[in-house]
Amino acid sequence: MIKHQYNKKSKISFSSAMLYLTIIFLFVPLFVVVLFSFNDSKGMQWSHASLFWYKKLIFESPSLWSAFKNSLIIAFTSSITATFLGTLAAIGIKWYRFKGRNYITTISYLPMVLPEVIIGISMLIFFSAVRVRLGMFTIFAAHTTFNLPFVFMMVSARLDEFDYSTVEAARDLGANESQTLRKVIIPTIIPGVLSGFLMCITMSLEDFVITFFVSGPGSGTLPLYVYSMIRYGVSPVINALTFVMILGTMVIAFTFRRFLKTVAASS
Amino acid sequence: MKGVEIAVEQVSRAYGTFKALDDVSVTIHKGEFFSLLGPSGCGKTTLLRIIAGFDYPDTGTVEFDGKDILPLPPDKRQSNTVFQTYALFPHLTVYENVAFPLRLRRVEKEELDRKVREYIRLVQLEEHIDKKPSMLSGGQKQRVAIARALINEPSVLLLDEPLSALDAKLRQNLLIELDVIHDKVGITFIYVTHDQSEALSVSDRIAVMNKGKILQIGTPYEIYEAPATRFVAQFIGESNIFPCKVLACEPYGKEYMLTVDVPSLGGEVTVTDYDPSEIGAEVDFTVRPEKVRITPNPPKTTHTYMNSYKGVVDEPVYSGFQSKFYIRLDNEAKPIIKVFKQHTAFLDEGPEIEWRDTVYVSWTAADGYIVKETDR
Amino acid sequence: MKKVLKPREREQLLGTTYAFPMGIWFTLFFTIPLSIIVLYSFLKRGLYGGVEWEFTLDAYRQMFNPSFAKVVIRTLWISIVATLGSILIAIPCGYAMAKSKYQTILLFLIIIPFWTNSLIRIYAWISILSTEGFINTLLIKMGILTEGVQLIYNNGAVVLVLIYMYLPFAILPLFTTIDKFDFALLDAARDLGATKLEAIVKVMFPNIKSGLSTAFIFTFIPIFGAYTVPLLVGGKDSTMIGNIIVDQVSKTRNWPLASAFSMVLTLISLVGVFWMLYNGKREQQQTKKTTQQSLELNIRRHHLRKVNSK
Repeated sequence: MIKHQYNKKSKISFSSAMLYLTIIFLFVPLFVVVLFSFNDSKGMQWSHASLFWYKKLIFESPSLWSAFKNSLIIAFTSSITATFLGTLAAIGIKWYRFKGRNYITTISYLPMVLPEVIIGISMLIFFSAVRVRLGMFTIFAAHTTFNLPFVFMMVSARLDEFDYSTVEAARDLGANESQTLRKVIIPTIIPGVLSGFLMCITMSLEDFVITFFVSGPGSGTLPLYVYSMIRYGVSPVINALTFVMILGTMVIAFTFRRFLKTVAASS
Repeated sequence: MKGVEIAVEQVSRAYGTFKALDDVSVTIHKGEFFSLLGPSGCGKTTLLRIIAGFDYPDTGTVEFDGKDILPLPPDKRQSNTVFQTYALFPHLTVYENVAFPLRLRRVEKEELDRKVREYIRLVQLEEHIDKKPSMLSGGQKQRVAIARALINEPSVLLLDEPLSALDAKLRQNLLIELDVIHDKVGITFIYVTHDQSEALSVSDRIAVMNKGKILQIGTPYEIYEAPATRFVAQFIGESNIFPCKVLACEPYGKEYMLTVDVPSLGGEVTVTDYDPSEIGAEVDFTVRPEKVRITPNPPKTTHTYMNSYKGVVDEPVYSGFQSKFYIRLDNEAKPIIKVFKQHTAFLDEGPEIEWRDTVYVSWTAADGYIVKETDR
Repeated sequence: MKKVLKPREREQLLGTTYAFPMGIWFTLFFTIPLSIIVLYSFLKRGLYGGVEWEFTLDAYRQMFNPSFAKVVIRTLWISIVATLGSILIAIPCGYAMAKSKYQTILLFLIIIPFWTNSLIRIYAWISILSTEGFINTLLIKMGILTEGVQLIYNNGAVVLVLIYMYLPFAILPLFTTIDKFDFALLDAARDLGATKLEAIVKVMFPNIKSGLSTAFIFTFIPIFGAYTVPLLVGGKDSTMIGNIIVDQVSKTRNWPLASAFSMVLTLISLVGVFWMLYNGKREQQQTKKTTQQSLELNIRRHHLRKVNSK
């Protein structure tokens, strides 16, 4: 027994060594980029630390910021729409049997499993077939489409934990359908709805492939801008942007986690 | 008497090919504590849900005081339900859970507060009034559910296995409380359970169900002492059941004295019954284990209608206040008879009976009974 | 008087009210676009993009053109290598995470890079691998190299970056299933005479099949449909099906061919998904008893072999 414990302490197992290497592998590229965002000169030759690229990012990149504004507009509008439609559908699918239920269930998972290129191309061809001009609206429609399955999935998962008797209890105690929805269902599933919404925001801010196909002139989002920077002349401003974006996502994620915890604790 | 009379007429409900309810009719009286008793899948919950409005029959009618209620949604019915899983609203406190129905009706503030507190007092939860359901124990949750279901002053309270998720001791206490509440509010209670002891102890009447049908409706005494079918005899309490054939049937006071041939007991047995039986009819002979006496020596009795057999203790099961013996009888069929022996004061106890002892089991004709519907 | 609905009609009405907005949205922006692709793949290409309404199998015939066939084969092998690479790395990682006390922190560490924008992650690799990149600069400074070596714009770089991008997709499902696995079974196997590796391969792997297939599909499908990675870190000979589709739409303007390739991608993805669902379901149906039995059987067989070889 004692010998066994000794053995365990004396060597790190193969699997945990792999795990630590993998974590290093995942972080090193980001770390390099962040490190060089504080480099004074261009390129990978370290000269000395400075905030030059951050100044450039904040004060001298108006088109980046307007792309970011587009990204935000798209993220919020599409996430709100997707959250609204997806939540209602999840409730309907979970609790009612009706014609078309199977169709909606199947179709709601597909956009999640098909490669992004397919979604992008099919929407591009669709929009040009029905002669809709590419622009903010088409991006909004595309983002709502790929966000919807995630809201639907997360709210459905939350509903699975939900005891349907509470809905019956509400009806039994005199609530009509809309009162039941407002006073019982929504308050109970709100954590699922919010995490779905947040997931939509992050995915929408991050999407490049689908947006690439359905964007038109003047409707470029931040990932599209980053793409053009990578493609046509890399500027270390990206390095600075990387760090800002990592910090941004971390802040959102942590505040949201805390928020979710308080919601969970209070219910 | 408050409450309503509920008439269920020829109600059937099928899920695909599975018949949950098969032509069920029952009338539940005003203010009655009525139990629907049966194993899981017997249709008792389906019947309750149809009365509550969560499910709907394929055919048949349900009436409250002569008025058809089937077209009404649950919120328009005079019934309220206590759910097996409590179904408390997790985001609301005890107070707000109980106040929920009143808030929906926009009851004026002071009236609401007075009533909510009154009903919380009724279920003795004053100390937990501001807690969320997640902080309550199972028994407390179920009390909240009961208060919440009663606050609307329904005419019928429907209870769907309300105690099944609780432990045995708590179940007993809550059951007594339920009975007290029933006496206080005086409305009709319909109580669904698979636990026969719960049903026997509090109900005014019981309907025993199996496979979508009601097998017997009666008082707890009738159900236990005169089960209508073999299933009822086996489901309620424990029974020794043997197939038999009626040999003779003669009037015996108000009842009838039957002589039946029980092959597995090795011959003729005498037994009384309320109704006459046809000679030659294939029926079941039954005797409850607690009515069988077990003695080390042949029973000294002059009783004419005494049935007595010799056997060996196959397995004694001691459970404190009583022991259960499996006795293998000394005949060709070697049947097993279950016997309960109550442990009483030391002096009355008699000689100890142990494993492999040779013993005698006996019962009088009045202790056995005949089950005509053998469900075979 | 308000009409009283029967419960079944109510259910139909309510379900419809709740679910149909999403149903209509998906029909409009998913089902119809996808149907258009199916339709276009059977039509004749228009002169300046678009299609002519004439049925033909030309698009599918063109796919067998050697230059395209090469791309399809390359896509297949790159995807398989990258997927298997990810899973091989992911298995020990998932195992270590499942055994670890610090699961939440480790999960976070795996997910954080994943939250970073995918383009930025690709960019990070470009700045590391390129001729003037981090590695080359470092090696030159250390005097190992005199001038930069091209580490990027080849298939190796594509595989590496694909693994980097989709590794979390493999780790997470494997971690979840391994976490649910009853490690006492491994001890039981060891007790009955299996070595550690044998115990893992013969007892653990059969029990985490659903996790393996989920991990496979979760990584394979997006890698198979990859577009950005081969475009940005691949060379001339790194194009994958995703790139062909985009080129056919935006440059060559051969919409039917793009549609036909999209059909191939879609079908392969769907087959993969259904295979995964089927595996998951079958594993669910397996009761604990059969797991126990197969364990015993495996070990008994193993013992017999050992005895025979002696």
